Amino acid sequence: MSDSVLDRVKRVVAETLEIDAGSIDDAARFVEDLGAQSIQSVELVAAFEEEFDIDMDDDEALAVKTVDGAVEFIAAAVEKQHG
Amino acid sequence: MNSEQDRRPLNDDEISRLKQQRCTATDWSRVTCTAEFSTDQIWDARFDGDIRLGRLTGDVTVGDNDQRPAGIHRATLRNCQVGNGVRIAQVGSEIANYNIDEDVVIEDVGAIVAMPGSKFGNGVEVAALNEGGGREAIIFDQLSAQFAFLQVAHRSQPAVTEQLTRLAEQAVSRAERDRGTIGRGARISQVTRMTNVAVGEAAMLSGAAELENGTILSAAEAPTSVGTGVIAKDFIIAEGTDVSGGAVLDSCFVGQGCRVGKQFSAEGSLFFANCEAFHGEACSVFAGPYTVTHHKSTLLIAGMFSFYNAGSGTNQSNHMYKLGPVHEGKLERGCKTGSFSYMMWPCRVGPFSVVLGKHTRTFDTRDFPFSHIEAKADGRCEMVPGLYLSTVGTVRDEAKWPQRDRRGESGRRDRLHFKVLNPMTVGRMLRGVATLEELKQETPRTKKTVSINGAEVARVLLRTGVKYYRSGIEMYLLETLVSRVESARAAGSVELRQLLAVESDAVLSEEWIDLAGQLLPRHRFDDLCGMLESGQLESVEQVEAALTKCHAAYEKDEWAWVHWAYKQVFERDLETLDEEGLRQAAQHWRDVRTKFLKLIANDAAKEFEEVTQTGFGHSDAADERLADFTGVRGTLEENKFFGQLQEQIAEVEDRASAI
Repeated sequence: MSDSVLDRVKRVVAETLEIDAGSIDDAARFVEDLGAQSIQSVELVAAFEEEFDIDMDDDEALAVKTVDGAVEFIAAAVEKQHG
Repeated sequence: MNSEQDRRPLNDDEISRLKQQRCTATDWSRVTCTAEFSTDQIWDARFDGDIRLGRLTGDVTVGDNDQRPAGIHRATLRNCQVGNGVRIAQVGSEIANYNIDEDVVIEDVGAIVAMPGSKFGNGVEVAALNEGGGREAIIFDQLSAQFAFLQVAHRSQPAVTEQLTRLAEQAVSRAERDRGTIGRGARISQVTRMTNVAVGEAAMLSGAAELENGTILSAAEAPTSVGTGVIAKDFIIAEGTDVSGGAVLDSCFVGQGCRVGKQFSAEGSLFFANCEAFHGEACSVFAGPYTVTHHKSTLLIAGMFSFYNAGSGTNQSNHMYKLGPVHEGKLERGCKTGSFSYMMWPCRVGPFSVVLGKHTRTFDTRDFPFSHIEAKADGRCEMVPGLYLSTVGTVRDEAKWPQRDRRGESGRRDRLHFKVLNPMTVGRMLRGVATLEELKQETPRTKKTVSINGAEVARVLLRTGVKYYRSGIEMYLLETLVSRVESARAAGSVELRQLLAVESDAVLSEEWIDLAGQLLPRHRFDDLCGMLESGQLESVEQVEAALTKCHAAYEKDEWAWVHWAYKQVFERDLETLDEEGLRQAAQHWRDVRTKFLKLIANDAAKEFEEVTQTGFGHSDAADERLADFTGVRGTLEENKFFGQLQEQIAEVEDRASAI
């Protein structure tokens, strides 16, 4: 069974921020809880784009602040771009 | 100065009165005066050699409203010419070999002495960029950033260097004089010792410790001041500049509108328009226009900078105990270095990049402007290409530089271009995109990073870099097109082909050069070098005129470049663009410009986010923290810059519709 969007998002977050995926709460905030610097936010967006083969609008993507927010945003983008 | 026709020797009565006023002379026959001369305000003076006195009556203003009598009180003058309305008082040792212009005030000083044949700092060879030599700039009192750049940075054509040296030496020889000069309205007080220093009009010298072999250029509209505790040797300080606070200068040129102080020390360095240097140290630096270093523990060494901001503790190394201090570095225009950033030269940083951390390996990111460059724990360099293209700091910089130009309106020597996006920076982005695209194609997904000239880039960011640069390139090209159409139509030109045409005398080069603040196409630069090489340019003034001609051609050359780049990027020829094509371009511009402005606005908004409020307020109460934050920083909605962005976003739609 393929990983859910949430699992894949957490994996990407863990790899990019070099933290343990198991320690990431669904509602975790990228900056305040996971310690993402602005540079890492950019790298996260790039990694999500690659993982899900989507294009994300920087303006909108960087406005997403939490893991579950990212899941929702990415799921919508995947649906829109890959139907 | 006084008319020579009115000059006469002192008469017996005047000599007698001066003697009564405790004045002496080695030979009274060598003391001459102007027709309206009065002895009334000359007391306790000693005259040695040839002395030419002006009308020393009435009062002079010292400070804001302090009126004091003109004249000479307790001073020894040797071979001096004293203009009308001068006040000289309390000279500890002597004033020797000086022409002192009208309305000058010299008070409470030690010695002011000039030696015959002095060049007053002109001709000093400044070992910029390489303290071991090989790139010396000969300084002189009309030196521009561009002339110095050619002397220092362009050593690949020896004939050009030789001609520049000849021309600089010509200018230096003109500065050689047997007398020092103190210009009209200058104020000199509490200066301990001044030897071979020429002082310009309206200059203010107060409390300087020791000044030797220098020129202080100054003008009524841009007075120069040299303040407390300054020690300067072999120097030129230009108009509108302030050097104070115990600054120490040794073999330095400090250009127009600069601020140097708070114990800053500099050796073998050149500073051009509007530099600011406090607390720290510079050694063999070419500080192009708007180089700013404000903090203690910051050492700039063997580097070339412009429009630069050095964070506290910024430092570089220029040798590794091998063949001496042979390494040098270039931070191209608009760079910033973060607190305690360190670079081991040689390094070259592309324009408008930010360097953080301790870099113990060298890198060259010239084709990747606007990048984030950070050292990893092991000293390797990590780069995020193009990150700062759409950040609020970059946009603010562009707006603030022209506003902070402290130079007088006339006589500006350094030619400057302030636009962040221009053929030089956008050309670099085009090259950056080509490299990133190539790497994106050839790098397998299993690889986490790629290395570009010593800088590591996360593979996933190759695509991001391309995206950033493309948006910057497109915005610049479209913005230039839209602005040109708007300006031409506002001026009454409506025929599209005509207003889009490249002017016949425009010069197109793919590559543009940043000549210490002045941007010009490579071909114009090569032509200039050709004229120097062939001896066509026979004086500093002719070189400056040629540079000014290039400067004046910027807009037409830029437009020629935009034509060329537009074709590369959009595969459309602007020569054949019709009204419909123009409308489409305007819509495209509206989209990219709006997106860009929104990104800037978002970046500005980050400054008001909750995490930014950390540290505000005394207790854990969120409402108190917010109130404290708001009390200090205001709200996002009230922020002036943010408001201007919102206005610009609203204007984009109108401008696009009007095309």
